[in-house]
Amino acid sequence: MHEVDALILVGGGLVLLSILAGTLSSRIGAPLLLVFLLLGMLAGEDGPGGLLFSDFDLAYLIGTLALAVILFDGGLRTPFEAIRLAVWPALSLATLGVLVTAAIVAAGAVLLLDFSWPPALLLGAIVSSTDAAAVFLLLHQRGTELRRRLAATLEVESGANDPMAVFLTVGLAELIRAGGGDPWVLAGHFAQAMALGGGVGLIAGFALAQAISRLELAPGLYPVFCAAAALLTFGAAQSVGASGFLAVYLAGLVAGNQRLRARQLIRRFHDGAAWTAQIVMFVMLGLLVTPRALVPELGTGVVIALLLIFIARPLAALIALAPFRFSLEERLFVAWVGLRGAVSIYLAIVPVLWGLLDGQHYFQIAFVVVLSSLLLQGWSVPIVARWLGVEAIAAPEPDNADRVGLDLPAQLDRDFMVYHLREGAPALTRELVQLRLPHRARILAVLRDNAAVPLTAVGQLQAEDYVLTLAPPEQVFQLDRLFTPEARRWFGAEASLGLGFPFAADRSLGEVTAALGLEGIEADPTESLERYVTARLGERPLLGEHVPFGPVDLRVAGLADGRVARIVVDLEPRWGGRRLLGPLRRALRWLRR
Amino acid sequence: MEIADLMGVEGVVANLRATSKKQALQALVAQAAKLTGLNERTLFDVLLERERLGTTGVGRGVAIPHGKLRELKRLHGLFTRLEQPVPFDAVDDEPVDLIFLLLAPESAGADHLKALARVSRLLRDRAITQRLRSAEDAAALYAILAETPATKAA
Repeated sequence: MHEVDALILVGGGLVLLSILAGTLSSRIGAPLLLVFLLLGMLAGEDGPGGLLFSDFDLAYLIGTLALAVILFDGGLRTPFEAIRLAVWPALSLATLGVLVTAAIVAAGAVLLLDFSWPPALLLGAIVSSTDAAAVFLLLHQRGTELRRRLAATLEVESGANDPMAVFLTVGLAELIRAGGGDPWVLAGHFAQAMALGGGVGLIAGFALAQAISRLELAPGLYPVFCAAAALLTFGAAQSVGASGFLAVYLAGLVAGNQRLRARQLIRRFHDGAAWTAQIVMFVMLGLLVTPRALVPELGTGVVIALLLIFIARPLAALIALAPFRFSLEERLFVAWVGLRGAVSIYLAIVPVLWGLLDGQHYFQIAFVVVLSSLLLQGWSVPIVARWLGVEAIAAPEPDNADRVGLDLPAQLDRDFMVYHLREGAPALTRELVQLRLPHRARILAVLRDNAAVPLTAVGQLQAEDYVLTLAPPEQVFQLDRLFTPEARRWFGAEASLGLGFPFAADRSLGEVTAALGLEGIEADPTESLERYVTARLGERPLLGEHVPFGPVDLRVAGLADGRVARIVVDLEPRWGGRRLLGPLRRALRWLRR
Repeated sequence: MEIADLMGVEGVVANLRATSKKQALQALVAQAAKLTGLNERTLFDVLLERERLGTTGVGRGVAIPHGKLRELKRLHGLFTRLEQPVPFDAVDDEPVDLIFLLLAPESAGADHLKALARVSRLLRDRAITQRLRSAEDAAALYAILAETPATKAA
């Protein structure tokens, strides 16, 4: 067989296998990325696959490309709302948090493993970035959603800390190769790279959005145009000494939050592209490593991993989040879910390429660290989320079969959607005229038995009807709740969340404590429930989010136009860990005094 | 805190007839007045005042009206099952047929909350409410209410 053909055969086969193995893994709850990594190892030189791949240059190129694509997609899918909610805590985690993590890991390596400082710091930098993709994949696999502000913090952190970790790693590798240097020069470079990268990213994002809304292209070309622009942004930024990763992330963020033409197409394409990048990156890194060579480094790697998981990350998270308002449970969750992913292994290629002494060691140690992190943290994330009670109930995404969206020209602030009604959709039980539509949503037409029925003659909606609707994008989910059967589950969840003693959100804390005989709670009795809750959960909490209020929980049980309308007092918060955390919380309060 | 500490079998009224929330509360208050010797009107006003702050219909056909009264010496519980569920402005808009009335002295302090939590945990249990709905008479209702241990573990 020709070499090219063989390469294509193997490449296609590996990606296919990864996808299939991925579906299997969600059944047993194994972290998806771990599966990709293991698959790469199995296909590699020590596994049954027996493929020999040890081209670090090529791996670095592919890894860089993949990371750029992943970050661009991450930016594209991050709504501005998330940034607004989480920008400061996330930035604090991504900068201060990364530094503290790297420093503690380095100190541990020096003290416990006889490293000298420069390589120890380099190692710290390599393993300092987190991989939120891993976290969110895991949570989605289990159908769990995190509280919105918490989710936004973790997501933005993981996007923002990659550029930081990349810069630190490359900078330190340069210093070591040059045999020393002035750390202040490094700091200066850092400021320059981030400022420039930020500037390039913002400009590129706006330019991209403008270009897309002005160019007339074949629809299929819009996403390709985006992808090419992303790569151009990355390359341009890197070549002027700016952080390319920061630039693509920001470009995606800015472009994704403009009203883009062909938004759905671009989203879908980049969703696929990011998946491909994840698979390629993990499988490739799995191939690149020589499992046999990992054995001697196993001890070192595990020590570093434990240090990272149990000391460095928790401390970094607690320090970086100290100035911000989070509940203790949320802080603990952030401390636990510092999952390490492909970026750490990718960065471990740097010492090899820079020709550092023992460059391969870094690679092997980083590999063991990531494996341990995926095994230990990856598996436990959904359990920890439940145990700490930090999940929220989010509206389910409807099946694609139930709702088809069409792109309208960008300047129209409306989405056009067709719903295919199935048995179980809540709208089926009501007359069309009685449906409570969001106030800017319209039903345009109802198709029944292949004919358009005048709206006045529709009467009760029936299964197999098609409903054509027009609504502002932010109200689409309210339509989903009417027209898709999944919404039933959602209503069910909502209903069970509502059990307890309800109060209108404009009631004061004093009224509630008097009504229920709550005593000894330190709070301003004139403050409204809504203020108390939003101060702790953010302006737009999700249904089901709850905050402790003395011995009871206040739970968001009703929203009106995105604002909290109803609070339910849960006299017996179901979470068992609360009692356990009581002493810890008191200790924290005492420390603050 | 046990349910038996709050009430005896005389606090249970099986198959109360009522067609509205107001009637149901009034009937319960009448029974409570008999047991505690308090004025019906006073009792009723306290409960209405509480309902104005937010309904005590906690969902799944259960309501737990409650209030504090200076004249009371100790906590009192009363339970009734209505013959027909009545609209109660409950949190889930379901009509209510199981009502637990809890009255506490002004000085009850944390005990009031503890009792309220105890009752709401009991009546949140679907197995219990199901048995309450199919129980024969007041004695059987009381037996179901009083039998459950206060906590599962500790």
